[in-house]
Amino acid sequence: MLKKADVLRGTLDLMILRTLELAPMHSYGIAQRIEQITGGAFEVSPGSFFPALYRLEQKGWVRGEWGESENGRRARFYALTKAGRKRLDVELENWESVQLAIQKVLRTST
Amino acid sequence: MAKWHQLVAALRFLFRRRQVEQQMDEEVRSFAAHRADALERAGIEPAEAERRARAEMRSFEQVKEEIRDVIPGGRLADSSAKDLFYALRMMRKAPGFTATVVLTLALGIGGTTAIFTVVKAVLLDPLPFPEPERLAIVWVDLRERSVHRAPGSGFELQQIRERSRTLEALGGIWATNGTFLGEGEPEQLKIGHVTGNFFDVLGTPPLLGRALRPEDEDWGPSPAIVLSHGLWSRRFGSNPAIIGQTVRMGEASPVVVGVMPPRFQMMFPPDAQVPREVQAWMTFPWDYSSDGPRAVRFMRYVGRLRAGVSPEQAREEVAGIASQLREEFAEFKRGNVHLNVVPMHGDAVREIRPALIALFSGVALVFLIACVNVANLLLARSSLRRKEIALRAALGASRGRVFRQALLESLTLAVAGGAAGLAVAWLALERMVALAPPGVLPQGTLRLDWAVFGFAALVTLGAGLLFGLAPAWQASRVSLLEALQEAGHAAVTVLRTRGRAALVVAEVALGFVLLVGAGLMARTFVEVLRVNPGFRADGLLAFEMDLPGSRYPDDAKRIQLVRGVEEKLRALPGVESVGSISHLPLDDYPNWSGPYKPEGASDEESRSLMADHRVATPEYFSTVSAQLIDGRFFTSLDEEAKRPVVVVDEIVAREAWPGQRAVGKKMACQHRVQGQFYELKSAEVVGVIRHIQHHALTRQERGQIYLPLSQSVRWHTSVVLRTGGDPLAIAPAVRGEIAKLEKDLAISKLRPMTFYLDRALAATRFTMALAAVFGGLALLLATLGIYGVVAYSTNQRVREFGIRMALGARPRDVQRQVLREGMALALAGLALGAAGALGLGRFLQSLLFGVTATDLPTFFACAVALPAIALLACWLPARRAARRDPLAILRSE
Repeated sequence: MLKKADVLRGTLDLMILRTLELAPMHSYGIAQRIEQITGGAFEVSPGSFFPALYRLEQKGWVRGEWGESENGRRARFYALTKAGRKRLDVELENWESVQLAIQKVLRTST
Repeated sequence: MAKWHQLVAALRFLFRRRQVEQQMDEEVRSFAAHRADALERAGIEPAEAERRARAEMRSFEQVKEEIRDVIPGGRLADSSAKDLFYALRMMRKAPGFTATVVLTLALGIGGTTAIFTVVKAVLLDPLPFPEPERLAIVWVDLRERSVHRAPGSGFELQQIRERSRTLEALGGIWATNGTFLGEGEPEQLKIGHVTGNFFDVLGTPPLLGRALRPEDEDWGPSPAIVLSHGLWSRRFGSNPAIIGQTVRMGEASPVVVGVMPPRFQMMFPPDAQVPREVQAWMTFPWDYSSDGPRAVRFMRYVGRLRAGVSPEQAREEVAGIASQLREEFAEFKRGNVHLNVVPMHGDAVREIRPALIALFSGVALVFLIACVNVANLLLARSSLRRKEIALRAALGASRGRVFRQALLESLTLAVAGGAAGLAVAWLALERMVALAPPGVLPQGTLRLDWAVFGFAALVTLGAGLLFGLAPAWQASRVSLLEALQEAGHAAVTVLRTRGRAALVVAEVALGFVLLVGAGLMARTFVEVLRVNPGFRADGLLAFEMDLPGSRYPDDAKRIQLVRGVEEKLRALPGVESVGSISHLPLDDYPNWSGPYKPEGASDEESRSLMADHRVATPEYFSTVSAQLIDGRFFTSLDEEAKRPVVVVDEIVAREAWPGQRAVGKKMACQHRVQGQFYELKSAEVVGVIRHIQHHALTRQERGQIYLPLSQSVRWHTSVVLRTGGDPLAIAPAVRGEIAKLEKDLAISKLRPMTFYLDRALAATRFTMALAAVFGGLALLLATLGIYGVVAYSTNQRVREFGIRMALGARPRDVQRQVLREGMALALAGLALGAAGALGLGRFLQSLLFGVTATDLPTFFACAVALPAIALLACWLPARRAARRDPLAILRSE
């Protein structure tokens, strides 16, 4: 089970992992992508985004490498590692169970 | 596993900090640049796009800071500098506290470092000779007479040299006095008469010219002499042209062949009677190699082991040689003569080692007390700072961070204390060298070198951890809620004070051990002072003179001179009486001891009888106030009569004729006749006197036999004058009178007799002074410790006392309670300390005299003194607590 405080942070982690599932991306790309997909509902602030990204790297779920971005700038590209893929599965499962739990609560109270 | 992984990451971060930081920086910038690009594409002006991108990043630094929080170790590296800065600021903010801590630590670390410097120079550093581990001393063990560390004869030297394969070379030295006659005052020097290979054995090359060689053993008309650096610079102004010049040394006119380097010293144990400082070396004036098996033993052997030979191997082999000698020579068998080889370094320091170890232990205890005290202060302060710490915790500081911060503060304090400690060590060493009697501390080798710095650094670090861990731990456990509520709940306070109470108990215990040590040394000093030396030193003036054979060729001439000098001096105003003696008590003039034999005793019975022999004029005894037990002193009639007489001391009288009256009995003892032969000659005992301490105040080595000057004449004598007042006041008159009588007569060591008494006391006084300093420091620190804890805990419980007084307790009750609690700590510490002192006392035993290490009065005195001081330390805070107005206290809450 996840600890309660981890839920929100876990959400960002989950979104980063999910975004990287398709292809390696640089940090700005990831942030941009999350905003696009959530239709701007989820504004990614660098202050929480970078710590999350570095934490994932520290845990060995993503790996960063320097490369060149589409606009010709140097940028660090992040890719999902094997462990990261596994982690994504676990996170997804967790998320679903949390979501289920929340839905139950919402339903009973209305 | 995960922990391990994180640790590796943290370490990697520490070592690659720059790289990681740089990467982080670049990453954040890259992010902002991409953002700006995106904004530009959306139609915003480049400059504005960049500004906005940056604004969205808030500040780069802040983002990086947040990233650092995520990377394990990232915080550590970056925050250490901040923590240090913070620690320094805290130190500056509380100057009184900082000063107390730094001073306490400086005393502890400085004292330890100073004593370590001495320990290192004496016990740890190798002897200042090439390959010193190969140097060994060979002792002659005369088991029949129970003299286990005797010198050897020329005969034994030759025998060992011929037979030994483990010794590469064996040399010998005999230190005696010589009169140096040059320009200016004649001067008495310590001369080392050595074998020709002595310098080869030690291996130190000379500074100038050459050292002595085996060829120099053949004296010829101009024997070779080697000067010490001290003599060369003092008497010859360090003139290198001295090589090849002739100097006048007593009767001889030797040629200077070499000068030794400044730190060249003799490194023999004190009982070898070879002083550290020898001013000149010559070979022996006679051929020791022709000595027979009965020859006089006078030489101290030093040998160099062959490379690869262990001292044990040499000892075994030389012991075998001794057993061969016992087989071959009846004299050796009868005397049960053995030989012993010991490494030179261990032997040279064998007497000072226990004293140094005791001093080092003492100062280590002071150091521990200092650390305990500082720990106490820090604990008290961290209690006061609980709100501050809680606030930091509330603002997000982790427990680890708080712990680290607290420990860093302690280490910063320790480093400041260590630096101040080095200054203290330097001062302490200076004072110690200045105050130490000669021969107690090594000269010139006491330096604060890298090894000492290393030691001080280690001690400092150890101190920081020792006193820093507990407060750091306590700080890291501060609970937010509890601290911010802060109502001084009694239960919590008591618990928190318990750790500090344990420290106080430890402190009192350590202090008690030191106090007992100091007390025992003080008692020893008093006991040594109370020793009856057998003479009365105050008012006595003494000097030495040599009677050169060239001017006074026969005994009669010499007797006449001595009597003439005595007579002239007796006529001086202020002089009450004058006498002469061959060996001044407690002086270091080479001793004359020999066998004696009571008449009628069998060889068997008298074999182990040995006594120090002295030659005196009749007036000597009354001049020094010697105490007559039986019979009479010499008279001038003995001088003229041909009948040989002796005066003996109580020890000889008891040894020779136990239970009988010695006066009137006859004994054979050594006499000195016409030149240098000692022969056993029968003499009648006319008097018995109380033993006069000669070698030390604390040791009675042998009994004494006194021969009249007229019957046993020597080349040298000391004259003693009893004066009515200050002996030095008549010194110039004495010099003048002697110069009038004999122009070239070398007199030296014109000193009050108290000089010799003081010198004999010096080592004990020095150890006692150091022990007293340590004891005093321990007492002071322990008192401060008790005061601190009691004062603090009373402050914490002010509310409790207020309530109790409001409910009817009298101020006296409150006061009594505080006292009771404080004294409980002191007494617990006392009990522990007494156990410790009993256990450790035996290590002190070899330094004590006249008291045992478990001396009851000393323990009792300390057991009264320490609680008395503790009581005082508790009384001040107790009174303060009792005097407060209960209503005022309760209202202020």
